[in-house]
This record gives sequence, structure tokens and C-alpha cells, in this order.
Amino acid sequence: MVNPVLLIAVPLGLAFMVPLIDSASRKLTRFVPVAALLFNLILCIRLIPAVLENPIVINLGGFTPPFGINLFVGPLGLLFAGLISLAGLVVSIYSLSYIKNGPVVKYHMLYMLLLTGATGVVLTGDLFNLFVFFEILCISSYALVAYHGDRAGIESSIKYLIQGTVGSGLLLIGIGFIYGIFGTLNMADIAMKIATVEQSTLFVPMILMVAGLGVESAIFPLNAWLPDAHSSAPSSISAILSGIAIEVGLYAVARIVFTVFGISDIYLFFAFLGILTLLIGEMCAFAQSNIKRMLAYSSIGQIGLILFALALATNNTVTGGLFQLVNHTFSKGLLFLSAGYMIYRSGSMEISSLNGMGKRMPLTSLAFTVGAFSLVGLPPFAGFPGKFLIVSGALLKGEMVINILVGLVLLSTVIEGTYFFRVIQALYFKDGNGEQRKQAPATAVTAMIALMILIVALGVYPKFLADFLSSASSDLLDKMSYVGSVLK
Amino acid sequence: MTGMEILLLVAFGGVMLTYILGRISSSLRNTFAVVLSLVLVVIIALMYDKTGETIFYRGFFGIPMVLRINSLSWIFAMTISFIGCLSVIFSLDYMKVKERTSFFYAMLLLVNSSMMGIVLAGDLLTLFIFWEIMSWSTFLLISYNGGPAIAAGMKYIVMSFAGSMAMLAGIISIFTAFGTLQISEIAAGMSSASSGFKIFIVIVFGIAFGVKNAIWPFHAWLPQAHAEAPSPFSAVLSGVLIKMGVFGFILTMYVVVGLGTYMSLGGAIFSVRSILLVMGAITILVPTFVALLQDDAKKLLAWSTIAQAGYIMLGIAYGTSLSMAGGVLHFLSHVVFKSLLFMTVGAVEFRTGGIRDLNSLGGLIKKMPFAFTGTLIGVCGLIGVPLTNGFVSKWLIYKSLIFGSPLLTFVALFGTWGTVLYSYKLIHNIFLGQLPEKLKDVENTPLSMKLPMIILSFTVLLFGILPGLPLRVINKIVVSLGFDSLNISLWGIVSESGMLNMINLFAAILAGLIAVWLFLRIGARTIPVKQDDNYAAGAAVPRDRYNYTVKFYDPLLRMISPYLRDIFDTFYMKIADLTGYLSNGIRKIYTGYVGNYVMYIVLFISLMIFVQMKWSPW
Amino acid sequence: MHIIEFIFSPLLALLIGVFFLGLARKVMARIQWRYGPPVMQPLIDIIRLLSQKSASHGVAFNIGLVMSLAGSLVITLFLPFGKIAPMSNSGGMLVILYLMLIGPLGMAISSGESANPNASIGISRKLLLAMGYELPFLLVVLALMKAYNTTSITEIVSLQRDTGWSMFTFPLVLSGIAYLLILPAMLGVRPFEVVNAPQEISSGPLVEYGGPYLALATLQHALALFIGISLFVNLMWGGAANPVIFFLKMLVVFFLGIFVNAVFPRLRIDQAIRYLWRWPSLIAFAGLILVCVTGS
Repeated sequence: MVNPVLLIAVPLGLAFMVPLIDSASRKLTRFVPVAALLFNLILCIRLIPAVLENPIVINLGGFTPPFGINLFVGPLGLLFAGLISLAGLVVSIYSLSYIKNGPVVKYHMLYMLLLTGATGVVLTGDLFNLFVFFEILCISSYALVAYHGDRAGIESSIKYLIQGTVGSGLLLIGIGFIYGIFGTLNMADIAMKIATVEQSTLFVPMILMVAGLGVESAIFPLNAWLPDAHSSAPSSISAILSGIAIEVGLYAVARIVFTVFGISDIYLFFAFLGILTLLIGEMCAFAQSNIKRMLAYSSIGQIGLILFALALATNNTVTGGLFQLVNHTFSKGLLFLSAGYMIYRSGSMEISSLNGMGKRMPLTSLAFTVGAFSLVGLPPFAGFPGKFLIVSGALLKGEMVINILVGLVLLSTVIEGTYFFRVIQALYFKDGNGEQRKQAPATAVTAMIALMILIVALGVYPKFLADFLSSASSDLLDKMSYVGSVLK
Repeated sequence: MTGMEILLLVAFGGVMLTYILGRISSSLRNTFAVVLSLVLVVIIALMYDKTGETIFYRGFFGIPMVLRINSLSWIFAMTISFIGCLSVIFSLDYMKVKERTSFFYAMLLLVNSSMMGIVLAGDLLTLFIFWEIMSWSTFLLISYNGGPAIAAGMKYIVMSFAGSMAMLAGIISIFTAFGTLQISEIAAGMSSASSGFKIFIVIVFGIAFGVKNAIWPFHAWLPQAHAEAPSPFSAVLSGVLIKMGVFGFILTMYVVVGLGTYMSLGGAIFSVRSILLVMGAITILVPTFVALLQDDAKKLLAWSTIAQAGYIMLGIAYGTSLSMAGGVLHFLSHVVFKSLLFMTVGAVEFRTGGIRDLNSLGGLIKKMPFAFTGTLIGVCGLIGVPLTNGFVSKWLIYKSLIFGSPLLTFVALFGTWGTVLYSYKLIHNIFLGQLPEKLKDVENTPLSMKLPMIILSFTVLLFGILPGLPLRVINKIVVSLGFDSLNISLWGIVSESGMLNMINLFAAILAGLIAVWLFLRIGARTIPVKQDDNYAAGAAVPRDRYNYTVKFYDPLLRMISPYLRDIFDTFYMKIADLTGYLSNGIRKIYTGYVGNYVMYIVLFISLMIFVQMKWSPW
Repeated sequence: MHIIEFIFSPLLALLIGVFFLGLARKVMARIQWRYGPPVMQPLIDIIRLLSQKSASHGVAFNIGLVMSLAGSLVITLFLPFGKIAPMSNSGGMLVILYLMLIGPLGMAISSGESANPNASIGISRKLLLAMGYELPFLLVVLALMKAYNTTSITEIVSLQRDTGWSMFTFPLVLSGIAYLLILPAMLGVRPFEVVNAPQEISSGPLVEYGGPYLALATLQHALALFIGISLFVNLMWGGAANPVIFFLKMLVVFFLGIFVNAVFPRLRIDQAIRYLWRWPSLIAFAGLILVCVTGS
């Protein structure tokens, strides 16, 4: 059996090899991330059958938990790891031609570090280790946001840095509290001991950790960095930030709330928070005239929806939430990637400058349309099954409050539809400036087509993912089996 | 593999192939599109009188997705494919001068295919999926022309999308309540459900189907959308697409909720049935008069479409076998004559270079006699002149309503007079009167447009003289929904309160026509004169100005127009504006100043801790 | 017997209609202290017109006119004249209401094709006027159908034999009054003579007609007069068992119409609509409500 440690080790190692490879051959540099992520993807796929049977627990350095650091490769972690490598692979293919100017070597290095950090967060079983990987993820994304080196990029990078650092600080304090209470940092161990402690003493560490991670996962009102950062980063990085980074943050929140603390009284609060995030995100996106900002706010909205679904904590809703998460990674990635080249062509991020793009860049516009339809939840694209599962799971709970929240979800979908349809009309039916037709480069088109195929395939045959997601959701919800498999 | 699966496979596969062929050669694509739509008509025609259900797909989380065929879906599918085929033929010339024709054809066929999916759906999930595909493809087609079509498309998709979200809520509620989405199984579950749940289902489905069917007060999207869409698609839109709402109503009221329950649902005064009837009546009355105000030919037809939807609504909601037959037959009639009218108006628009303004046309009868004949027959059907299909269907609706609720009958009958007025305005301002100088060189209708017009005109008269043809199928539907069977002959219908015999009427009118014609022949010879050889009280006929079209019904309009403000349209626009303002306000949360942002984080934590310390909810 | 009725009743209707036209001119002349033309003058005119050449404006010009007259002829088959009603079993009041559309519509198409703005103005007024009187008229008809619980006009007539004239039976009194108030408008006499208005719009729709066309148009006018009066007599004054009494009743109604015609000046079209939609409509509405309330 292959060792899941390679999922982290290979990209990490290759990331530091990038400068060396670059000095050997300039042309080869660009392909390093592609190779690394392809390797990761294949590894993830090969791990699936084994993980579905039993989660794999790796003890680093041979120390058994709770003393050593362990990796926990359950269905949920593997889902995220696979998603990270798949999205990362597609985006790295896209970047082959998209990233041409500027510090290319640093870009590829940071890009791989970012993904390494993300993979680490979702696989680790140790709180402090989680913090460390989280910092890797965050710091590389601070740098990548400022990649263009222009004023807006640097400004939003600094803003992101400040808020991110505050968040990390809070997270660290929270972890410190936990260590003080339990004397251990192993998540399974804490989870087992959590019942022995008075609930009220756990409140402060929990809220600190949630707030700290909430900054990265863009939960309202901790998400103010996101629109700036997403809109001024290069589009490939926006795709990763939106499709991977904030979702990894959400994973961490969910893992800590569900598995480590596992106190169900607070779930409804998160459902409300999710709806609030959803509504605010969608309404802000509705008011935007800048395409990338609009997509960024839409990400906030989607995160809210996923948080809502996870917070309802039934197998159905969590499966739906994860489905929506997968859909969001693909479609938001697709949206950012296609918007990237459209912005490149028109030279402006204003929606009005995209008028008539359907004639100038038909395939790119088609990709945008597919992404938008999927995100809104129109069949036969991947967004619909996700929305269907979330709503049906929520209604199955049969509580009046939740029914009303579902109504709000549907309402926000209408708002979301409105602003996306507006852009689609601009793309196809408004007259542009009559430039010649010129497609995006082949690599970018390949990336977009791959995502489109994934979206349509998932939309037409959602069952393909459903079983896997179902076991991932029980991985998240079933605290006891998590504890049991780590502390054998 | 059953016929239905083959049908959908052919339909959806054809969409893709049409687009791909369009990249190769446009004539190949056109031929293929026509052949494809003909094949679909044939396949559906072969399914006549079949019933059956088949599970075709389990890929959606294992929920069985079902196709089913019965007389209700057959008649709808037949209509869809028939009108779809004619509109494709009509497009051949119409679309020649436009760009992105492959996109147009593919979308037109996609709309048709998804509508077939809707009517063949045997479970609500399948229905919803096809419903959404139909909604977004329609949106793309409505916006196709750009310019004012953008706003029209936007209004359409937002209202339609709000409707489908309501429907989704209903569908999933049913799913969670009964654990199945199969229509045939839901009915059993519904009968034991609480009446609150039933009313909820009726309301959410009512919104969804009401929006599509443009029932007042959900009609606001329709006029612009119909007017701005490309004319061949307007024919589909007005003829068939909005009738998906009718299909949905029948499905909800009589299949899902059930006839017995539907008739007694709700309180004594505010019963669901009476509310629907009143909505139907308002839908007839107001739009009929709004249509009189219109100066845009397609907008006039669009408002007329709303009004006719009201007649269908009255028939369906009243809930007797006669009214049901009337409602379904009027749906069929409306499909035929309204598609015909949109096509003739489209032909005029095509030949005059895009003029739809009723004030700047006139006298085209000399240039486009074909389109005139089509319009005349279509208008007669719309009014319900005897010997046209509209007469029979309206007769059935009146007949069933007349003793039960004379006031509703009055509204419907009075609406007919409004129909006469706007129909005549349409035909007069386009075809009669003097030909403006700038239209001297207009050519006759092209062949590809003539063909659908001939077929549709023929159908209008055929169903008017031999109403038994459609009524036989409709009787099956009526029986399958739980009503009594009707006593139908080929040329009419016998009901307990009077009968209708179209063949006698036909013979009498024919004899009358021949007699009068002979009488005219007996008289002295007549000399054909030029159009501008007119009586002008001895003065020379003023060129290009001797016409009366602008403000055709001014005396009436000045009286009624203050009462015809579209309050619901204003209301929806207000909501849209409000959302805009609100969003703009909320956007200001993100001030752009990082100090505020950090403060939000700190405030969040302090608030949490404060709440916990004060009330300790945890 | 039946076949004879089929041929006989339209001819009779034409004859009576033309006779009424002649009589109208005579009576009007006498009211105005003139001698007036002979009663048979319209008939003579028609025969003369048939022999005159005239201008045709096109196919629709011919067909519209033929359609209009044929439609009116068919209505006479449905209306009982005394007991003569050859087609009463093919459809009832609803069919008649719809057949009544063919006449104006045919004329409208025909004179629209003549491409004269005077004709178009006349048609516009005709349709508006029809809109005006249809509102109360439909309410009246619905009240009748509701009250007698049938849509067949022959049944309405025969039921009146038991109950007496509808006009004077309790729940239908209001409807009867409303019908009487709108009758001049339906017959197209002054004060509602806005459509043809010879001095104003050169006879409106008829402006381009001459020769055989004018003959047909005159016949159509005569039939319209006949239908209007006959309908009123059948619905409100109990019809009649034998044709002579029926004719006498028609004559009474006709004279009422002529007197009104002689006394009133012409209204403008908007005044006409305003009048028709005010009192007659309110009374007719009240009548319908009354029937609904007392009926159930």
C-alpha cells in the first residue's frame, strides 16, 4: 500500500526543488506543479478503496497517539486531498500559459506550498500540526495575492495579512487554552476527554479557534479580506483561494466543532451564521459591477450555504453540503479561470467591458456560462444535485425554523441567479467592441474543458460521488469511530 | 428501451448534432433540423393511445426517474412537436439574415426537447430537471436579439426562477413527506395528507405554473418577452411554452391533489377553486383591455396571449367534465391560432425590415395576401367566430360556466368583444387601409413561411368544423382525470344543457355564402381599381397621408387607460429596485479600511463571549 | 316543410328588413312634415343598384361583404319567427351571440380594404359602439339564461308562454329596462347613429361602396335591423306563437325605435359609450344579481 505521507511530502519536497530545477532548465519549471499534483491525484485515487474500508492512521516518527503526531486519512480527508490535487492540477495546467511575466519561479514554489499546506490541514490529526500547515497555506497565499506587484495587489495582500495574522493569533491562543486544559494536542485524544470537562470552560477556547479559522473560511463577519484578495490576485490564484483555501478553512472549522468539541447545542447557531453569510454574500455580489469581486462575494455566499448544510449535521445535509463544496470548487474555479482570460483580453474587470465576449471568445464564454449555471444550481449541472440534497435534508428535519431558513436559501438562489444571468446576457447578447475572435491558449482551454466535463458529469450522474460523500459525511459526524480508529 | 426513451434520446441528441452540423454547413444543418423535428412528430404520433411507465434512470442518488405516457402527455407532446416542427420550418427564411443561427436552432430544438421531457415526466424530479432546462434555454432565446430583449430576458428569468424555486420547495416537501416523487404514487399519499400541506403544495406549484402560464398577477414578464423574442420562437413561446403552466396546473390539481380534494380544498368562500377562477377572470379582463392600448403588433399578441390563458384557466379550474374539455380544447385552439398569428406578424416583420409598429404599417394586403389570409383566419379563431376552433372551445367553457357562475361567464364573453377590437386593430393597421410609400417594394411571403401558415390555417378550420377530432382524445384525458365521459360526435357535442352541431352550422354558412355570392354575381360587373383610387370629397387623395391608424380606438382608450396601470409590474420592479438599494447598503459593510475589518473580528468574539456570560446559552 | 323553412325564413327576414327601411324613411318624413319616398323605395333602389357598374377594391372587399351578409342570413335561421326556427336545435343563444360577430366583422374587413380613412373611422366607431352596448346586453342575456336555466332561445320563448313576458316577470324587470335603454344603440338609430353619420364621415364604412356592393350593404343593414328587433321581441316580449303576431310586435318595437330616432340628436362616440356603460350597465348588472340571488 502506498503511504499517504507522500501526499504532503512530495509537493513539499518539489516546492523547494523548484529553484534548483529552474537553474537547470527554465522550461521545466512550469511543469513541476503539474507533475507533483498529478502524482498526488493518482495517489488519492489509489487510496480510495482502502480508505473506504477503514481510515488509514499514520503515526509520524513511530510514536503512537496521543504522544506522537498522526495523520488521519479518512474518506473526508481523502475527499479534500483529492479535490485539492484535482483543482490544483487543473489550475496548474491553466497557469502554464497564464503565468508568463513576473517572478515565475516564486509563483510555482508558493503555489505548491499553498497546496501542501492545504493537504496538510485536511490530513493531520494534531491541532498544532494543523496550525502549522494552516500558516503555510496562509503565508503562501498572502504572497501570491500580491503576485502582480501592483498597488491594489499589495494593498489587499497587506489587508489579508493583517486579518489573517489576527486570525492565526486567535487560533494559537485557542490551541494554547486547549493544551492547558487537556495537556494534549491530539484531536482524537481531546475529543475523547472532552466530556470530562465543564462545558463552560470550553467556551472561550472554542470561540477563539472558530474565530481564528473563521477568518480563513470566510464566515461573516470575519471575511472582509476576501473580496479584495480574490479580486486582485491573479485569476489562477483566485480560483485556488476560492475553490480550495476557504473550503479547507471550513473543513477545519467543521472538524473542530464536530469532532473535537462535538457539542450539538451550538449547531443551530452555525446554521444561522451560514444563512447570514449566504444572504450577505449574495446581496453584495448582486451590487457589484466588477466581475472578480462579484465572483468573490459569490464565494462568500456559497461558503455560507455549505456552512448551513454542514451545521444541520444530518447525514443528508452534510452529504449535500460536501456535494455543493465539490461543485463550488469546480464551478468557481471554472468561473475564475474563464473570467481570467476574458479580463486579460478586455483589459478591465468591469462587467460592461465583457460585452460581446461570446463572439470574441466563444469557448471561454461557454465555460463561464456552464460554471454560472452550475453554481446557481440549474440542472443538468453539478450544482443541482447539491442543492437538492441540502434542501431535502433540511426539510427532512421538519423543524419550522429550518424550513424558514430553507426559504431564505431559495430566495438567495434567486438573487444569485439574477446577477449571473446578467453577466451571461452581457457575454452573449450585448454588442461588444467588435474585436476579432481569438481563443484562449490551448492549455487554458484544456483546463476549462476538463472542469466543464467534470461539472456536467457530476450533474448528470451524481451517484458517482454520492457513496463516497456519504461515507465522508459519516466520517465527519461519527465522532466515536474517529476516536476509535486513532486511539486503537 | 421504450419509445419515450428513444424519443428523448433523438430529441436531445439532435440538439447537439444540429449545433455541430451548423459549424460545417448551414444548409446541412437546416435540413437536419427540419428532418429531426419531423421525425419527432412521427414518433409521437406513433405513440397514440399508448399508456405506460418506465424507469429510465437511477443515477440521481438512486431516486427512480420515470417517464410515462398517457393521453394527457400525448396531446401535449404532439402539440409541442407539431408547433416545434412548424417553427423550425418558419425559421428557415426568417433566420437567414441573422447571425449565430446554429445557436438559435440548437436552442429552439433544446426548448422543444425539454418541453417533451416535461410532459413525459412520470416523476416530479424529472419534471423539475426538464423544467429548468426549458427555463434557461428559453432565457437564452428570449435575449437573443439583444437591445430591449436583454431587459425582457432578465425579467423572464428572474420571475421564472423564483417560480421554479417555489416548485423545488414543493417537490422536496413532497419527497420528504412521502419518500417518493413518482406522480402515480404521490396521489395515494396526498389523499391522507393534512389540508394545510395540500394548500401549501397548491400554492407553491401555483406560483411556479402561474408564472409560466402568465396568470395574473404573475404575468409581468410575458409581454416584453413575447415581443422581443425572435418571431418563430414567439410562436413557440406563446403557443406551447406557456402552456406548460397549463399542463402543470392539470397535473397538480387533478393528478397530485386529486379531483375530489381539489373541489373542496380551502374554506367556503376562499376555496382554492374560487380563487383560481377569480384569477382566471381577472387574467381575461385586464390584459384584454391592455392589449387595446398596444401599438406594437407582437406586444398586442402577447397581451392577448395572457388573456387567452385566462380562458384556459377558467376552463381548467372550474372542474366539470365539460369545462375541463373546454379548457384543454382551448389550449389546443390557442396553440394553433396564436402560433399562426405570431408567424404572420413575424412574416410582416421579416419583409418590412423589422417594423412591428402598428402605426407605421398599412395596406399590406396587396403585397402579402398570404399573410393576410393567415392573419384573418387566426384572428377569427382568436375571437371565436363560428367554424373556427376557438369557437368550439369557448362555447364549451361558457356552456359549463353559464349557470354556475354567470358573472365569470360575463367576464369571458365581454372579453371576447375586447378581443374583437384589438384583433381588428391588428389586422386593419397591418393589412388594410392605405399602403405607405416606404412599403411599396415589400415582397410576398417566402415559401418556408407560407407552409406553416397554410398548415395552421387549415387546422384552425378543421378543428372548428370537426371538433370531434381533438375532442375524442380530450375526452380520454377528461375521463382519466376522474370526470364523467362526454357524449361526443365527430361534428359536435351533446350535453344535458344544449348541444352543438358544427356540421349543420357549416352547411348553413356555406349555403349562405354561396347564395350571397351568386346574388353578387347576378349584379353588374365590377371594375377593380387601384388602392389609392378613393373618394376624397372631390379633392385629390393626399398621398401617404390618407390613412386612419394612429390612435385607432382613442375615445375608448382615453376613458379606460387610467384604470389599466400594471400595478403588479410596478410592484415587481419596486422589489427589484429595493433589492438593489439594499444590496448596495449591505455592500458598505466592507468599508475597505482594514481597521474596521479587524474590529469586526474582535467584535465577533466579544459578542460571543458577552452573550455566553450574560445568558450562558451553552 | 323543413326545407321550405330554411329558404323561407331568410327571405322573410330580408323582406321585413327592407320593408322596415322603407317604412323608416316614410315615418321619419311624416314626423318632419314631409311627404317622403314610397315605402318600397329601398327595394327599388336595391334592384337598380344591382344593375349599376361599380369599383371593387380587391378580393377581401368582396369576400368581407359576402361573409357579412351570409353570417346575418344564418342568424335568421336560429331566431324563431313565430314558430319558424329551422336551426334552433344546432345551438342556442351562445351560437347566436357569436354569429352576430360575423356581420360587423365582415363589413369591417371589407370596408377596411377599401382604404378610405372615413371607412376606417366608421369601423372604429362601430366596434366601439358595439363594445359599449355589449356590456349591458351580455348582462341582460346572462340574466335571461340564468333565470330560465337554458341557453336555447326557443325554450326561452316557450317558457315565456307560461310566465308571461320576461320584461314583466319579477326578477327580469331590471334586465328588461336595461335592454330597452340600449335598444337604440343596438339598432344603430339616433342618438347612436355615429357609425354611418353621412354628414360627418361620408357614411363611414359605406363610403366606397357602389352598385351591387351598396345593394348588399343595404341588405345587410336591413337584416341587422331585423335581427336586432326580432331578438328583443323573442327575449323580452315573449316571442309569438304565430308569425303575424310576431310581426306586429316587431312593428311596435320598430316604431319605438323610429320615435327615438326622430327626437334625439346624435351623440359623440365617447358620450355614447359613457351613457351605455353607466345607467344601462348598472341596471343590467343589478338585474343579473337579482336573478342570481332569487334564483338560488
